[in-house]
Formats: sequence, structure tokens, C-alpha cells
Amino acid sequence: MPRIELKGITKMFGKVAAVKDLNLVIEDREFVTLLGPSGCGKTTTLRMISGLETPTSGEIVIDGKVVFSSEKQLNLSPDKRDVGLLFQNYALWPHMTVYQNIAFGLENLKWKKEDIARKVTEMGELVKISELMARYPSELSGGQQQRVAIARTLAPDPRVLLMDEPLSNLDAKLRMEMRSELKRLHQQIQSTTVYVTHDQLEAMTLATKICLMEEGVLQQYAPPLHVYDSPANLFVADFIGNPSMNLLELSVNGVENNRWMLGDRETQLVFSPQENGSLPKVGEKVFLGIRPEDISLSLQGKTQASIYSVLPSGMETVLKVRFGERLLSVVVFGRKDFLPDTPVGLHFEGNWYHIFDGTGGKLLATGGLSLE
Amino acid sequence: MKKWLNRLASFFSRPEHLILVVLLALLVFLTLVPLFYIGLDTFTVHSAEARRIRGSQAGDLTLYHWNYVFFERASKNLFYKPLLNTMLVSLATCAFALVVGGVFAWLVTRTNLRFKKLLSTLMLFPYIMPSWTLAMAWLNFFKNSSIGGAPGLFTGITGIATPDWMAYGFFPIVMVLGMHYAPFAFILIGGILRNMDANLEEAAVILKTSRWKIIRRITIPIVMPAVLSTFLLVFSSSMSAFAVPAFLGGPVRFQVLTTQMFRTINGVNPGVGYILAGLMIVIGTVILTINQILIGKRKSFTTVTGKSSNISLVNLRKARSPISITLAVILIAISVIPLFTFALQSFLVAPGDYSLENYSTIFWTGEGSPDIASGEPGILKNKYVFKGLWNSFSLSLLVALFAGTVGILVGYAVVKTRGKRGSNMLDRLAFFPYLIPSMAFGAIYLSMFSVQRGFIPSLYGTFAILVLVGTVKYLPFASRAGINAMLQLGKEIEEAAMIFGVKWWKRMVRILIPIQKPTLISGYLLPFISSMRELALYILLVTPSTSILTTMLFQYNEKGWDQYANAIVLLIIGIVLVFNFVINKVTGASIDKGIGG
Repeated sequence: MPRIELKGITKMFGKVAAVKDLNLVIEDREFVTLLGPSGCGKTTTLRMISGLETPTSGEIVIDGKVVFSSEKQLNLSPDKRDVGLLFQNYALWPHMTVYQNIAFGLENLKWKKEDIARKVTEMGELVKISELMARYPSELSGGQQQRVAIARTLAPDPRVLLMDEPLSNLDAKLRMEMRSELKRLHQQIQSTTVYVTHDQLEAMTLATKICLMEEGVLQQYAPPLHVYDSPANLFVADFIGNPSMNLLELSVNGVENNRWMLGDRETQLVFSPQENGSLPKVGEKVFLGIRPEDISLSLQGKTQASIYSVLPSGMETVLKVRFGERLLSVVVFGRKDFLPDTPVGLHFEGNWYHIFDGTGGKLLATGGLSLE
Repeated sequence: MKKWLNRLASFFSRPEHLILVVLLALLVFLTLVPLFYIGLDTFTVHSAEARRIRGSQAGDLTLYHWNYVFFERASKNLFYKPLLNTMLVSLATCAFALVVGGVFAWLVTRTNLRFKKLLSTLMLFPYIMPSWTLAMAWLNFFKNSSIGGAPGLFTGITGIATPDWMAYGFFPIVMVLGMHYAPFAFILIGGILRNMDANLEEAAVILKTSRWKIIRRITIPIVMPAVLSTFLLVFSSSMSAFAVPAFLGGPVRFQVLTTQMFRTINGVNPGVGYILAGLMIVIGTVILTINQILIGKRKSFTTVTGKSSNISLVNLRKARSPISITLAVILIAISVIPLFTFALQSFLVAPGDYSLENYSTIFWTGEGSPDIASGEPGILKNKYVFKGLWNSFSLSLLVALFAGTVGILVGYAVVKTRGKRGSNMLDRLAFFPYLIPSMAFGAIYLSMFSVQRGFIPSLYGTFAILVLVGTVKYLPFASRAGINAMLQLGKEIEEAAMIFGVKWWKRMVRILIPIQKPTLISGYLLPFISSMRELALYILLVTPSTSILTTMLFQYNEKGWDQYANAIVLLIIGIVLVFNFVINKVTGASIDKGIGG
């Protein structure tokens, strides 16, 4: 069964490296999302797996078969890799009907006529477009076009399914709907799926594993909640989560076994790491990362901060809170509203606070936090 | 070594790379190499010149031509005067075309003129018709008897003999070329005016600016790039015009560079002609390169935000109807009267005699009698005319077929390898023939292929050289169409088929070409019509056996067999108009939507 291996893949466009020495193993039947800001090399990676793009160096193995190797001068064409590719703009052929769009690839693979007819019908039922077979793509809505594109991609039963931002051209409501359909499809057809997106919500909700990239370099490759709860570095911490994590630059004022004193001129915090990793030196700069939902507010008692702005949306309320000279993002759940400039107290519960190295940005420790 | 071979193999395994390299080599051979040979030819003694240049043999190297063109007593009449004439004609033509076309564009887009649609369509007519038809019409109308032959219709009707300056030379050339290119100014300037955000003008109205000041300070500066671009295109086109100055200037020996080039290359001094051709290529290339640069910059200059329909139009008040009707009458006159005169002239037995008993169909269906035009039969019975028609038709068909197909391949290769150096080079090379004046392009092919070059035998006098020169000259139209078509597509459309392992030719034939049919068809049809009405490009290369309609027309006209000439003009116009109409209906493209020129 298909397991995809990328070994030391590098892709140069002129002098610019789009992907740098990427090593990645995608296990059979996994749903992996390649996530990152635009231009990070995720689409290039996908296209290299499909065979539409040729890596500059490295090796790609699909299902134990080497499909590309710069050393052995081997490069199989896309149709010999048994992959299906779903394009961002669907790339439906506008001069063919829905039926012809789905059947064309099968004809080309020399399928028998009756097999093609059976398969197209089956696909139509799978993605619910049976009544649309005689129409042309221009006569379909965006969501229907998307379904046709999926049917065309799935028709030859590819064992590897590659998708390049397939939902980004749909409106928000349709996107939600298609997201759950895609997840159901994945369970139904049991193929290994690689999915490119810049939308972290999509990546979080769909994937069994997220591969986060920046400027061609792999940042973290782990299951979604793991990425969320222990981001490997500052970039990951900042990229994942909406609103994004509060990052406070502080200096280490003192380290005694389980209490790290962090602070600057106006703020003093105590961090207690969960497990003793590498201890920072006194005087070093570090970043403290706090997820907005890990700050709770109280109106009674001692107050250290005040409300700056309030964006209630019903299910949750996103606030900016003035804390000294800093503005912190805070999310509180439920139907809540606050008046601007109300003084509030800050509380840190749980153990999901992160310390990052001040220079390299690497995660140093995760643990609890309290105000001095 | 093996690794290197491997890399080469994988490079050429992509069809776009193969096409790119092949086309690059082909176009270098067909556009750049001839330039080298024509340069060499300006330093060579040609067989026709061996007697003229003392003590030399054909093939010797010589500076004679350069000296003769620039520094001899004959230089004044041979070169300097025609150069001056060319410049004056081109400048005056530009001025005429810009004023007429610009004012017309403003009237149509910014005032409450009547019959706008009709007028805009009529305005394109002088451009769709070949420029020499207007020249012929002018002769039919205004020629006088001072150079022998019968006077024209004007004298026939009014009895007033037209003065020479009105019948021949500078004035009529400028009028005819100006009228031919005015539509061009109208298209370019009108396009900008139409797309220009009316808010720009309205913002000034809000600030209480006067109407005249708005035109002067806002409208004109914004259309200025289009004006400049029109100026350059019209200038280079009128500079390379041949038929019009030949028809209208020939009788009074009013020479321009193109007519001189024709005389010398066709006559006893080809080396001199090649220098003139080289010179025109340089001027033409420089002018049109400036234009390309300007067009590139124009994007950042005009804020084109789409049509704004609710612009307040200038009220022409009392002048509205008079202006509209006058324009309509003039335009109808310009487009219909020429056709009428061609028909009329072709039925006159004795030219200039407009009495009823002088009409006859002898020049259409006559068997030919020895006392008229050396016994030439009427054009519908004339095997030479049919041969010419057949030649014209098959030539244009082949040119269209080759140019259109190569254009698609150019488009495919350029777009698929976009961003790479080769892609840019191919793009420019395929456009390069557009920069070269038609007759000079004919001249470089004459110089290149009149002798054996490597494995290619001498092509002079063959039909193949006409097809070749036409294909390369009109490739720019086709490659523009091809590039535009491929750019619109996006690479995913093709990649979606690659995933299924669809072969290259099948991707082209089943996917890419069917989707972009209309655009690609225009890449076939524009070369066809252009070739059908072309004279200057082919005239140096045809021989009696490869005569085409336009060159026959030229010869009949030189011999003074007006009736035949007029009949052929009608024939060509008929074909061009029918095809332009068909194309327009089928694809929406039209000769007036070509790149211009």
C-alpha cells in the first residue's frame, strides 16, 4: 500500500530554493496537509510528488517504487505514479461535458467502454452529481464544479490523492460543507492523501498530520493538536492559532529548580516548566508564548490590566487587553461583552505556556505560569 | 559525458523545450541571418552592376554602393531627396491621421453625436480596404491629362482640369495614406477614451473646471501615450508604404525610399537598393522599439477601471445634426465612391469618355482584340488573371496555414517556458518581422535566397519563397494570437490531462486548441487577409509564373491599362471584404484589430 517517502528533496528556481532538503514520510492512508504561508514551497512539494515538477535533487519513493531519483537519473511521468491531482481552480475542460470530463482520462488509460460508463456513474453517485452529466462546466456552480473535479480525479482509482488548495475558490459556507465531505471521502476511498492549504483551520480539521513549512524548510511535522500544543518554534507558534499566540519578549531574571523568573521593567512572571529541559541562563532573552484562550479575566479582586477593544461574535469574544505597555489578545467563550477601559485581573490556568529561545526561536519548555 | 547526455535527454523530453529550441533555430535562420546577408550584399558587386563598376567582377567586395548612395553627385536624387520626401510624407500623414482620427474619437466618445454606431463602423472601412484602393480611386477621380492618358471623373463631370499638385505627388499621397491610417488613430485613441475612467474628468467638473481646460489638462495628457503610439505606428507604416506613392507619385517622378528601393533592386543597381532596405529596417526597428517601450510604460500611466457609462456628454447643440450628417456623408463617400469608380472605369472602352455608348463589358468578358491592350482578354476570360487569382489564393492559404500553426507552437513554447531566457528570445524573434518594412523584408529574402545557401537551393522565382516570406512576415499576428490564447488558459488545464498520461499531440488537439478555437482561428485568418492584399512584400520576389493579383494590378497600372487594373481591384476588395466579414462573424476578430500597421 502506498507510503510516500521524500528523501533530501531540493528544488531550485534559478538561484532561489523553493524547497530545501525536505525529508518527509507519509504513511499509508494518512491524510497529511502541507501548510504554510504563500511561497513557502508547499505547492511545489505537491507538484514534485505528482511528477509535474522535477526536483533539483533528492529521491521520491511511492509504495516502495522509486519514482524520482536525481542520482539514478530516474524520473517517472505523472501517469506512471498512480496519483490523482485535484487543482485549485479545478482545471475542468470547458469544452467537454461533465461526463466527458470524467471519462476522458479513463479513455486515455485504455479502459473498456462499459467499464468507463459504469465508473462514471459510480463517481457521479459518490459526489452527488448524477443529474449534471450532460452539462458543461460553465453551467455549474462553484461547488458543483468542485465535485466534478473530485470525480474526475478519483475515477481512475489513484492510490495517492494530491489536492492543491481545492477549497480556496469556494465561499465560506460551501467550504465548511466540502471540508466534511472530503474527510468522509478520505475514509471511504482509503487512499493516501496529501493536501496543500494555507488555511490553518482546514489543516487542523482535516489532517491526521500537519507538515508546516516556511521558505522551503520543514518547520514541524506532527498531528494537528500536537502542533497546536507544542509548537516546535516561534514560527509555528505564531502561524498556528487564530487569533495568534501572544509572544512576550522577556529576560530571565533568575532560575531556581522549578521557578523561572521572567520579566522586564514593568512585568514580572513566574514560569514553572513541566519537565526539566535545558535551563536558560540568567540574563538571557526568551519569548513567552500565551494562547489567547489560556488567559482568563476577572472583574473582581486585584486588577493588572484594562480592556482595550472588544469583538464579540456570540460563541466567543475576542478582546485586546492593555497589560502595561503591551496589548494581549484574549479569547473568552460564551456570550460576553465588556466596556472599554474596564480594569480586569489576569489569570493563567493550565500548563500550556511556552518558552522559546530568544535567538533561535526553538521551544525550550512548556509549563504553568503565574503573576509575581 | 553520460550525465550530460542524460540531462540533455531529460531537457528535450519536454515537448515545449524541443519546440522552443527548434523554433529559435528556425527563426534565427529566417530573420537574423538574412540581415547579415543583406549587409554583406551592400558591399558586393552584383552581376547587373559588373559593367557599371569598372574593372570589377560579380562577387567582388566594393564600397561603391555606400559611396554612391551617400557621397556622389547622384546621391541627391537617388537618396537625399527621396529620404526628405519620405520624412515629409510620413510626418504629414501622421498629422492628418491624428487630427482626423483623434477628433473623430473624441466626437464619438465624448459628445452627443448622432449615428455613433454607423459612423464608427464606416470609419474602419478605409483601413480594412488595402491602402492602394484609395490611391486608385484618387486617380480615377482626379487624374489629369498632363502626363498623357485620359482625365479622371472630376474633370469629366465638371470640365475643370485638375492641377498637377492635386492629381499627383505629395498632396494626394498624404491624403490617401492619412485617410487610410486615420481609423487607426481612431481605434487607439478612442479605445483609451472609452476605457478611461470618466470619474477623472468628472472630478474636475466638480472642482468647477471649464470644459476646455478639462480637455487640455486632463483628457489630452491621459490620451497622450496613445497619441504618441499612433504617431509612431503611422509614421513607420507610411514610411514603408509602397503602392500608394508608386501609384500617385510615379507619374510625376515623386520618389520616396520604397519606390527607389524597388527601382534599384529591380533595375541595375541592387546593392544600392539593399542599402536603402537596410536603412529602412534600422529606422523601422528603432521607431517600433520606442513604441514597445512606451506601451510597456503606459500600463502604469492610465488608470483604466473599465467602462463608465454615465459620463456627461458634451452637447453639440445646434451643430449636432450638421456635424453628424457631414461626417456620415464624407465617410460614405470615402467608402462607397471608390468602389463605384472601380466598377465604372472597368466598363469604359476609352478611358475618360463617360458617354453612354462608351460602356462595354469587354474588359470583363471580352475575348481580347489586338487593338486594345495588346489583345489581353477580359479578366473573367483571362487565364493570367485566373492564374494570378489562384496564386494569390493558394499563397495566402499556405501562408495562413504555416503562420497560424507555427504561431500556436510559438504561443505554447513561450508560455510554457515563461520566465526562462529562451522564452523571451522566441517571443521577440517571432515579433521581429513586424518591425521590418514589408518591402525591405522582401529585399532581405531576395538577397538571402537568390543564391544557394547551404543545403537550400536558390529559391528565386519559386512559389516557395513567396510562401516563406509571407509566413515569416505574418508570424507576428499568429504568434500574438497563440501567446494570448495560451496565456488565458493557465497551465492546470493541460496538467490535468498530463496526470492521465495524455500524449502531447493529443493534449494540443483534444484540449488546448478546441478551448481556444476563436483566438487561434484569428491567428490563421489575419495572415490570410493580410497576404491577400499585400503588394510591397511580394513585388520584389514574384516572376511572371508566380504573379499574384496585387502584382498584376501593379503591372496593369504601370502599363496604363486602367480598366483591367480597376477590375482586379474590385476582385481583391471583394475577397478581402467577404473574408473580413466572415471572420468577424465567426470569431469577432477583424483586420482592424490586428496589431496595426
